[in-house]
Amino acid sequence: MAELNFSNLSKQFDGVPALQDINAQIASGEFVALLGPSGCGKTTLLRLTAGFEQPSAGTIDLGGQTVAGERQFVPPEDREIGIVFQSYALWPHKSVAANVAYPLEVRRVPRAERQNRVSEALTLTGLSDFADRMPSQLSGGQRQRVALARCLVFDPRAVLLDEPLANLDLALRASMHDVFSMFHRRTKATMLYVTHDQGEALALADRVAVMQAGKIRQFAAPETLYREPVDCFVAGFVGDGAVVPVRRTGRVDGHQPVVNVFGQDVRARSATTEPSHVSIRPESITLRDDAAIRGRVISCTYLGGRFRLSLDTAGETLVAFATRRAAIGETVGIHLDDLWAFHDPDSNSLMAKSLAYA
Amino acid sequence: MNTLPLTRKSSRSLDRLLPLIFLPVALIALGPVVRLLLEGIGFGDGFTTSHLTTVLARPSTGTALNHSLITAGGGTLLSILIGGAFAYLVALTDIRGKGALVFCLMVPMMIPPQITALAWMQMAGPSSTLLKVVGLAPPLGSPQPLHSPSGIILLLGIQHASLVFLTLRAGLRMIPADLVEAARMSGAGPMRVWVQTVLPLSMPALIAGGAMAFVTALGNFGIPAMLGIPAGYATLPTLIYQRLVGMGPSVLPEVAVLALLIGAVAIVGVLFSRFVLSRRGFGLVGLSGTPLALNLGAARQPVEIGLWVFIFVILALPLLALLATSLIPAYGVTLNFGNATLEAWKEVLITQPVTRRAYGNSLILATSAAAVLLAICLPLAWLMERRATRLSRLLDALIDLPYALPGVVLSIACILTFLNLPFTDLTLYGTIWIILMAYLARFFVVMLRPIQASIAQLDPAMEEAAASVGAHLGRRLRDIVLPLAAPSAAAGAILVFLTAVNELTVSALLWSSGTETLGVVIYNLEDSGETVMASALAMSIVLLIIVLMGLVQAGSNKFPKGVIPWQS
Repeated sequence: MAELNFSNLSKQFDGVPALQDINAQIASGEFVALLGPSGCGKTTLLRLTAGFEQPSAGTIDLGGQTVAGERQFVPPEDREIGIVFQSYALWPHKSVAANVAYPLEVRRVPRAERQNRVSEALTLTGLSDFADRMPSQLSGGQRQRVALARCLVFDPRAVLLDEPLANLDLALRASMHDVFSMFHRRTKATMLYVTHDQGEALALADRVAVMQAGKIRQFAAPETLYREPVDCFVAGFVGDGAVVPVRRTGRVDGHQPVVNVFGQDVRARSATTEPSHVSIRPESITLRDDAAIRGRVISCTYLGGRFRLSLDTAGETLVAFATRRAAIGETVGIHLDDLWAFHDPDSNSLMAKSLAYA
Repeated sequence: MNTLPLTRKSSRSLDRLLPLIFLPVALIALGPVVRLLLEGIGFGDGFTTSHLTTVLARPSTGTALNHSLITAGGGTLLSILIGGAFAYLVALTDIRGKGALVFCLMVPMMIPPQITALAWMQMAGPSSTLLKVVGLAPPLGSPQPLHSPSGIILLLGIQHASLVFLTLRAGLRMIPADLVEAARMSGAGPMRVWVQTVLPLSMPALIAGGAMAFVTALGNFGIPAMLGIPAGYATLPTLIYQRLVGMGPSVLPEVAVLALLIGAVAIVGVLFSRFVLSRRGFGLVGLSGTPLALNLGAARQPVEIGLWVFIFVILALPLLALLATSLIPAYGVTLNFGNATLEAWKEVLITQPVTRRAYGNSLILATSAAAVLLAICLPLAWLMERRATRLSRLLDALIDLPYALPGVVLSIACILTFLNLPFTDLTLYGTIWIILMAYLARFFVVMLRPIQASIAQLDPAMEEAAASVGAHLGRRLRDIVLPLAAPSAAAGAILVFLTAVNELTVSALLWSSGTETLGVVIYNLEDSGETVMASALAMSIVLLIIVLMGLVQAGSNKFPKGVIPWQS
């Protein structure tokens, strides 16, 4: 097990930047998810870590050793990093046992020990009965387990997973979540998990790096991402709710800045004194008839036990939970509480732009 | 558990060494062609165009060029008619037994042209054993009708119909079924659909197939040699052959010019078709999911019967004639149950040293060519797919050249190149090595393309997975790429073997006493009047070919799409 460091890492494909100036430290044994929309650079970061691509600038250190940097490059076969591919990449001409045994064959592990470790890995992934099957005779979930076992068997220093659940159906995904958690607890491996599904990332990872346009926007624990996003992208991409621009009042109420939302002054949690936006999660909204902010119901969806309402308020769409069904077009009162206010770096230029047009 | 030490081998060095393979490949495959081009402008004795002007001004050159254009052009028209009819019927209608029909149409392509010519000659003319058996033979002394330009055109047309068929059918498969369905919903009947929708959309494929048939017919040596030389009707390939055989290597500079002339005509043909295609491209996208199957209704059975009768006439009848001739005790005798004998078979397969030697030579040449190409093409195809560079792409584009150019052109190029090995006093001319070199150059793409296709279909993640678990390049090639590309490589090797074992055009110019190939011996036997033995030898080769084709066919579901030429 080893820690993984990226410093000033950049990658261009034919001059087009795919990753820009990535800096991140991943502790030994940590489970990190790379989350972002397609084309954000998360797979590029994974492939750089594995050694399938060479960085354009910057370095990657694994367990204190520089594996990619200026004039230094350790090829993937010498990195001791396991990878689970989206397509599983099982070798179709080898049986399940032979697929799992291959990493040990390459390392010239004696036959007896090899057999022990292969059967151990197969037991751990629940594949003991399938050892002699060919990959084509397995279901999607079973193939994924073989790919995991193939990783597990040679005790890699880090394990990379490239959208491993993208090809599985919903029911299987949930059960694979448990398999990954078990795998991580059991091996204590440093894990890097690429996904565009925030549910997966928030459920599995110790920390999540939210990426967009080749940059890490925020790298934090799942609850921090949800409650304290740093910018509009993270606030909008992670979790349900709305992001609304605010007017600063300059007042502070008990260490919390007071902002003006929809014409009302509200206290908000914040790390900055100059907030430009607030993130309004469904939990922050209480529907009260006497509330000053009014919203019109534009949709009402039953989620089981509660209703999810979309509310139109001064042109913004808020999301609230309600215990009773609401009629479309009905007007409700909105009470806001426990908001998170932040300063979006792009808001300066937006404001400058709107001033220029004014 | 501890991290295991990796057995570190110089994985990087193999990475650096592998591209060196480009050098011998480029030399063997492209060296002779370059050498031929240089010869045309008087390489060796200073720049001169005197050969060029003398040879081009000679009347025999003009006549042969004219004959080549007439026979190749006529043959192409016939190929388009036959191949087109089959392709439209097989690809568009609901006729039954398509697989068997296609296989039978492909057999003429795999049978060497001189055997085709020999077989047809046994079917027509006063000495035809088959016609004698049914009592229809023309009186003795009447001319062999196939010894004529129209005979050459007929056989060229049949021989290359499969090229048009394959190209056209591939093109027809690109036409989305909904286009035809839309036409029918608009009220068009099957005939109108074909004329107004299918024909215009498939025109590019038809033109491309026609161009291939033309270039191949232009370079065909076996048919004009068997049918044209007795009639005194010379095409460019037979003219080159007659000059070189009659005068020896001293006429090399002259025949080089003739070879360049064929090459030029072939290239003009290809360029013309590209030009026409570029103006008619429709940019059809995607494979249609459901194959078209227009309902022929009551016409289905007559059409099926017609197609099978046609196959019977062009394939079964000539082969039956060939078989009949191979069973008679002496040429001219009428075959009956009493006098049928396997004497000629015994003679060619067991007794005669020349034919036995030829069998040995051809089998050794074909096997070595297949083995050497297999060993080179596997890493080469991997490099071209996975580590594409400007150099590898250039080689990829040029490697078709030795196969696309007519065989005589390549033979002359090889003689020029290997007559005096550069920097030594050695010569390969007159040895079996020059034939092997020519085969390697000529059949490179036959082996390379199937392997390339299978590696291209291979998920790169397969190799990346192997790399991530610690396998260096050599092991990845051996453990992952080789087994997964093996079926296609085997198909490629069998194709090389099939094409090389009965090849005549190249070896006709390169053989010498002791290095005869099967193609050469059949031609020489027939040339010296030993038609019965020639027929027996030819028939044994046909059987060998059909068995090999059957083997490939039996394993066809293991190969990636497009590997087997008669399945495209």
